Amino acid sequence: MAGKSERDFEQALLRNYDLKSSAMGKVSEALVMTLLVGCGVFSLAITVGIIVLLFSQSIGFFNNAELAIDPWTFLSDNRWSIGQTQGTPRYGILPLVSGTFRITGIAMLISLPIGLICAIYLSEYASPRVRSVLKPTLEILAGIPTVVLGFFAIKFITPYLLQPVGEFKTFNAASAGIAVGILCLPLVTSLAEDALRSVPNALREGAYGLGATRLEVTLKVVVPAALSGIISAFLLALSRAIGETMVVALAAGSTPTFTMDPRQPSQTMTGFIVETFQSESLEPDSIGYYSMYAVAAVLFVFTFTITLIGQLIRMRYQEVYN
Amino acid sequence: MEKFYTTPRSETNRKAKNRYFSTLCLLVCGLVVLTLITLLTSIFITGGSWLSWEFLFAGHLEDNPEESGIWQAIIGSIAMCVLCALCALPIGIGTAIFLEEFQPRNKILRALHWLVQLNINNLAGVPSIVYGILGVTAFVYMFSYFPSITPNDPPYCEVGAEYRYQLKTLGGDFVNFPCPDKNDKEFRITEPLEAVNSQGSPFVLNVVDTRSQAPKNDPVLLKQTVVKGKRPSAYAVKSFFYFHLPFGKTVLSSGLTLGLVILPIVIIASQEALRAVPASLREAALGMGATKWEAVREVVLPAATPGFMTGAILAMSRAVGEAAPVLAVMGGVLVTTNGLTNLMAKTPVLPVTIYKWAGDENVGFEHLAAAAIIVLLVLLLVMNSIAILIRSRYEKMLG
Repeated sequence: MAGKSERDFEQALLRNYDLKSSAMGKVSEALVMTLLVGCGVFSLAITVGIIVLLFSQSIGFFNNAELAIDPWTFLSDNRWSIGQTQGTPRYGILPLVSGTFRITGIAMLISLPIGLICAIYLSEYASPRVRSVLKPTLEILAGIPTVVLGFFAIKFITPYLLQPVGEFKTFNAASAGIAVGILCLPLVTSLAEDALRSVPNALREGAYGLGATRLEVTLKVVVPAALSGIISAFLLALSRAIGETMVVALAAGSTPTFTMDPRQPSQTMTGFIVETFQSESLEPDSIGYYSMYAVAAVLFVFTFTITLIGQLIRMRYQEVYN
Repeated sequence: MEKFYTTPRSETNRKAKNRYFSTLCLLVCGLVVLTLITLLTSIFITGGSWLSWEFLFAGHLEDNPEESGIWQAIIGSIAMCVLCALCALPIGIGTAIFLEEFQPRNKILRALHWLVQLNINNLAGVPSIVYGILGVTAFVYMFSYFPSITPNDPPYCEVGAEYRYQLKTLGGDFVNFPCPDKNDKEFRITEPLEAVNSQGSPFVLNVVDTRSQAPKNDPVLLKQTVVKGKRPSAYAVKSFFYFHLPFGKTVLSSGLTLGLVILPIVIIASQEALRAVPASLREAALGMGATKWEAVREVVLPAATPGFMTGAILAMSRAVGEAAPVLAVMGGVLVTTNGLTNLMAKTPVLPVTIYKWAGDENVGFEHLAAAAIIVLLVLLLVMNSIAILIRSRYEKMLG
């Protein structure tokens, strides 16, 4: 019988091996898997935790009997006067939001064009020599802590760059905006360069073959092909600029203003949160404490939405070329 | 002979445009390099002359920039960095292994896999100050589950602290003795008890009813005598493992918060390290009968370790420069009296010190802030050089 002799052969083979219990192996495999899933779930729990925390505590702000603010006044009133002793405090977040967007706007005006041009240059034009200078420069710039850029903004940009030009206050939106722009620049460049580089060379060669100049290849073929990647880079930089804290805490001042004038101080949402944390009298369950959560919730909604959109665009775009 | 081909005007224009654009690019890139040079030079000019050994090894002094220093801040930054790495690395690498090495077939797990991957990049985009708020709620106040710590009340639940009473005897000696009940605020001396004098030798405290009964002729006994009803002051002797709940505004809270901040960076870097391990290594291990986890443990993880280390160092260098979450959790601490003796102490860190000094009205601190920035940049440079060194060796190793 073939079956029997086969089994004998197997037995003869197995006799020489010290086999581990496969049951134990299964258990340890399952254990490890659970542990790893646990790690993954932990990162999810952070996001869920942030969302639940911010919104549940913001409810404490709106339910405060003394203040009687409804969410609509909070979102539409154009005065924010928490912490001021005179007059009734008013809680309209618009000055903080406008402060954030004033600074973000200036930062984007600087970082998006310069970042994109650097990315195009690095990916399409640069000789290895220029590259060997520019690439480390951007890497160093990316590694500089934000508090250092904040220092640069108040001690250099404001007194030596802006105040000779116009009537800039000591703390102003422009200097903070420029510093945040410098901060976002390496991010835009590296993400946009990645996007440009992942455009297949066949597209470039096709365009060159038709007699296009390098500029035409870049602007009419490569950039449109990498557009989703570039837009996602812009969105990530935007979200980074909105969430930037230390630069604005140092350079933009602590007065919430509702103007378009970049020479005025402008407190941002992040700047307000840092200032509130620093006050010694911050107690859990006080109005200042809850207002911080309400502001943070608005901030989080902005950054989270923008990052998510950028992420989705990037995922789509990766599908096209891989 | 007639010319075969003449360049049309439009083509000259097109070529010129290309040249202009190339020049524009070069100018813009030059501007970027110039910005970095200006940034670094302005900091070196402001702070370079204030760097000295005294500056490195001294502490912050109010209103005295000439003699202030950053020793505590350097120690604090390093401690914080180690703490956050200890909590972020295991979880981060675990998540990366889950994402890269295990492709689950189960439908629920697959949805989880996708969700976690999407979530990582979103976490990386969350502003660090929002993590600071999360840290304040989760670690400092622990969701207000415990009564919060106030200067007058000792923490609700603590380990490693010994409470003692101290008082001054009639002879002018400071003596101390163990505190029977730390929550008793009305404790008064009524009867003789065992105590330790300022030289550290034990004796029995002599109690007299009034000041006139004091043994004035015996200076030794006078040093051991107190008037009945005197109220001693309580203090705590904290051991190195001193620990309490909630964590309060301490180095542990801020370390954990920074751990949350760098977690997405660790995960992304570890994923890249795992992706760089050639698939052939995995396949060989699986082909030799290893289970999935055995292949990961014995083959993939050792090969990816240098990559993990590079990622870890880069994440830690991010944590060293991060000021906002620390400022939120611990407040703007510039100096502590005892230094960093246990995890429940406060400590200044470099970025917060720079922030506070840069905002100080005393102009001297502006120079100190610049000097501290130089120290911080040197620290970052060292960390990044180590990372680059490891990376270059690793690339050689994997060929």
